[in-house]
Amino acid sequence: MRKLVPALLLLCAWAIAENPRTLAIRNAKIVTVSGPVIDKGTVVVRNGLIEAVGENLAVPAGAWVIDGEGMTVYPGLIDSLSTVGIPSLAPPPAGRGGRGQTTTTPAPPPSPATAPATAAAPVTPAKGPEDRPATTSWILAANEIDPSDHRIESVRSAGFTTTVTFPARAIFGGQGSIIDLASAERAGEMVVVPAVGQYLAVSRGGGMFGGFGAGFPNALMGYIAYIRQIYLDAEHYKLLKEAYAHSPRGMERPPYDRALEGVLESKRILLPANRVVEMDRMLRFAAELQQPVILYGMREAYRPEAAPLLKKYGSPVLVSMHWSEAPRDPDPEAYRTMRSLENIDQGPAAPGLLQKAGVPFALYSDGLDQPRELQRAVKKAIDAGLARQDAIRALTLSPAEIYGVADRMGSIEAGKIANLVVTKGDLFDDHTQIEMIFVDGKQYKPAPEPPAGGGRGATEEPGVSQ
Amino acid sequence: MKLLGILIGCGLAAGAASNNSVLIRGADVYPVTSAPVKGVSILVLDGKIAEIGAKIVVPKGVRVVDGKGLRVYPGMIDSGTELGLSEIEMIRETVDTGELGEFMPQLRALAAVNPDSEHFAVVRIAGITSVMTFPAGTGGGEGGGGRGRPPQYISGQAALIHTFGRTWEDMAVSGSAAVQVRFPILGPPGGRGGPVPENIAGLAGETGAVTFTEMTRTYQQEVAKLADFFDEARRYQKAKAANLPGFVRDLKYEAMLPVLDGKLPVAIAAATPRSIHDAIQFAEKQNVKIVIMQPRELGSAAAELKAKNIPVILGRVLALPRGQDDPYDQAFTLPGEAYKAGIKFAFGTFDNQFVRNLPYQAATAVAFGLPQEEALKAITINPAQIWGAGDQLGSLEKDKSADLMVTTGDPLEIQTQVKHVFIRGQEIELSSKQTRLYDKYLNRQ
Repeated sequence: MRKLVPALLLLCAWAIAENPRTLAIRNAKIVTVSGPVIDKGTVVVRNGLIEAVGENLAVPAGAWVIDGEGMTVYPGLIDSLSTVGIPSLAPPPAGRGGRGQTTTTPAPPPSPATAPATAAAPVTPAKGPEDRPATTSWILAANEIDPSDHRIESVRSAGFTTTVTFPARAIFGGQGSIIDLASAERAGEMVVVPAVGQYLAVSRGGGMFGGFGAGFPNALMGYIAYIRQIYLDAEHYKLLKEAYAHSPRGMERPPYDRALEGVLESKRILLPANRVVEMDRMLRFAAELQQPVILYGMREAYRPEAAPLLKKYGSPVLVSMHWSEAPRDPDPEAYRTMRSLENIDQGPAAPGLLQKAGVPFALYSDGLDQPRELQRAVKKAIDAGLARQDAIRALTLSPAEIYGVADRMGSIEAGKIANLVVTKGDLFDDHTQIEMIFVDGKQYKPAPEPPAGGGRGATEEPGVSQ
Repeated sequence: MKLLGILIGCGLAAGAASNNSVLIRGADVYPVTSAPVKGVSILVLDGKIAEIGAKIVVPKGVRVVDGKGLRVYPGMIDSGTELGLSEIEMIRETVDTGELGEFMPQLRALAAVNPDSEHFAVVRIAGITSVMTFPAGTGGGEGGGGRGRPPQYISGQAALIHTFGRTWEDMAVSGSAAVQVRFPILGPPGGRGGPVPENIAGLAGETGAVTFTEMTRTYQQEVAKLADFFDEARRYQKAKAANLPGFVRDLKYEAMLPVLDGKLPVAIAAATPRSIHDAIQFAEKQNVKIVIMQPRELGSAAAELKAKNIPVILGRVLALPRGQDDPYDQAFTLPGEAYKAGIKFAFGTFDNQFVRNLPYQAATAVAFGLPQEEALKAITINPAQIWGAGDQLGSLEKDKSADLMVTTGDPLEIQTQVKHVFIRGQEIELSSKQTRLYDKYLNRQ
């Protein structure tokens, strides 16, 4: 203890030198999200937390004062489903992939929703469900975070201060963690909540491109049967464990099963759904499994049947911002299905419609990691009918609420984590400049824009590995 | 030589009491090229149709078949098969189609025809007496490359064959009825003209997507390559005509001569109006005859086909629409559309196992707008004419090959039974592997 105090003091001193522990942004427009917009106000940050926010605040002595004249302060953006922080799950760089790739990693870029079993996934061909194929439910994203992932800076430059990162690479991929995108020495410093829920994926269809590995399950019926069995097993496993804990004497010890442990520990599950029938199926499925669920993907949530259905179940949804896009320089006579044309045309209208219907939703990046791409993606939703303040909410307070962390992030309120974005101009406008980003009260400047181009088109089916 | 032929002919006639001569008496005769005549007889002598009439004196020794209540039609012709070259598609050893090489016009499908293929019996007892058999097969014929094979431009010579014979020489009607060309298709690599399924397009999509500019470049390169080969063949033709010293015969170019002379058509599979147009443009530029095969959509190409008098081989009618938003009857109505446009066409089944369904493919087209008699023509006289055998096959006319089917009714009706089949006047035993299996299990207790 005696040693600890000087050490702590030293640490503080170092921190102050690097980045002041107390700061105030003055005379700025403050979009609190949780309350009304403050046209000219002050935000005081101390020790990584928001100490106060308001119109006529006294700036504490010794604080580093930033003049926010002409600037707007927003809560840091939250990417509600991401793989940022796990470099092995980064999508391949543009210009590669597709046809030319080897057959071991077919598939589109492994955005969280489309991740095939690559590199790190310990997947061996399974003979049947008892082998627990493509299951790494025990993995915690928090344990896999690598602070050197270059996407951290790139995503942060777009205004994201927080991601909900999932080890998205199998049927039961593992549990996601909420991480703050700080440049930390140790990954542990970045973790806000280590376990927020289990990521599930399904792969559509068997044949050449389906499946996470060779063998079962390889078709939709297999996935459904497998997931169902896992939950039956987990239920049984839980009963055995409880019985054994109650009176171990004279009882055969139930074998430890990490896969079922991982499933039991997950407080919610994330299930993919893009088409309306998939939403319906997954909502019923989650109800049957008696698991709180978040649906992700939502490519066709713009269809009129979608919002009432989602509203009926009340489960929150995560909408992919990887909108379908018309291919560049396409064959003018190429056959485009009505469905794909509608997806391109109306996809970005989904958030606005969900908002109107009162469905709790958040937006997620789905593999987009360039600041320009991300801003453009949000802009598309705004242009398609989502009010700007609702877009901001869908990237701040809404995801915080969905994951049950609205008590510590998602808005500019006293006591919350000091994750802030400071802009010149309205966030998501074409010419808006992000001036600075604060993560845990530490200031970052956006990285210089990478050279133009390199954008990727939409994945065909977010949430469904091909 | 001629004398020898006559001698052999006499020998056969004398020895076997001419098993290729027959009189079918009192039947309704449907010649296809003229109006049906009821209650007449048809005389076949030495494999040829000798006479059709009410009162025919039966020559001595000629067998008489009672045709009362039956109908006589010319045998049907399927314009798109790989019969004789492929037995069981999934067993590589039984498949002789698809030789490798980019330019292989010298390959003759006929030389590889297996007369003992089980398919022939199944097909001929259905009344199909001749087929076109294609050297590259027909399933993958729509693409420049496709199916992961190295690209091929010219696959060889398609043969028009009878579906009965002891040897392939016996079966041949024409050993060279067309040269099969796989014309490059402007589209995504490996594409076969049809739409790429979306889940697969999605894979290629993103960064792997091929832009139209790239597609066009590849396409133009491929067309240029094909044109180069035609130019080489033309130089060869000149050199041969000039009989230049040091001239060496080359089978590849030799095989192209009938094409360049306009005697032999190139058969090109083209699914879309654009690829049809492209193929026609090429044939015009090269001044060669062309037959378009397996269109799935005619659209703007219909007028062009009509104006230039280009025959078309329609593929399967009993097929799914091309894309998920296309009308369900897209394939069913295509023949009617071709008819209305005035295009000359024939049917091909393009699937070895289901050649026997040829009349039902045509029948479906009838249900969707094609006049019945036109459907019948498209499986008899039209293919005979398109493949250069209009004087031998395809209708019941004097001196034509006696390829007949004797049925209980309209061959397009599924209830109709085929009672007799004659190929070159020789009656075919109406048994096949299918009937043998049928009998075997019918008698099982």
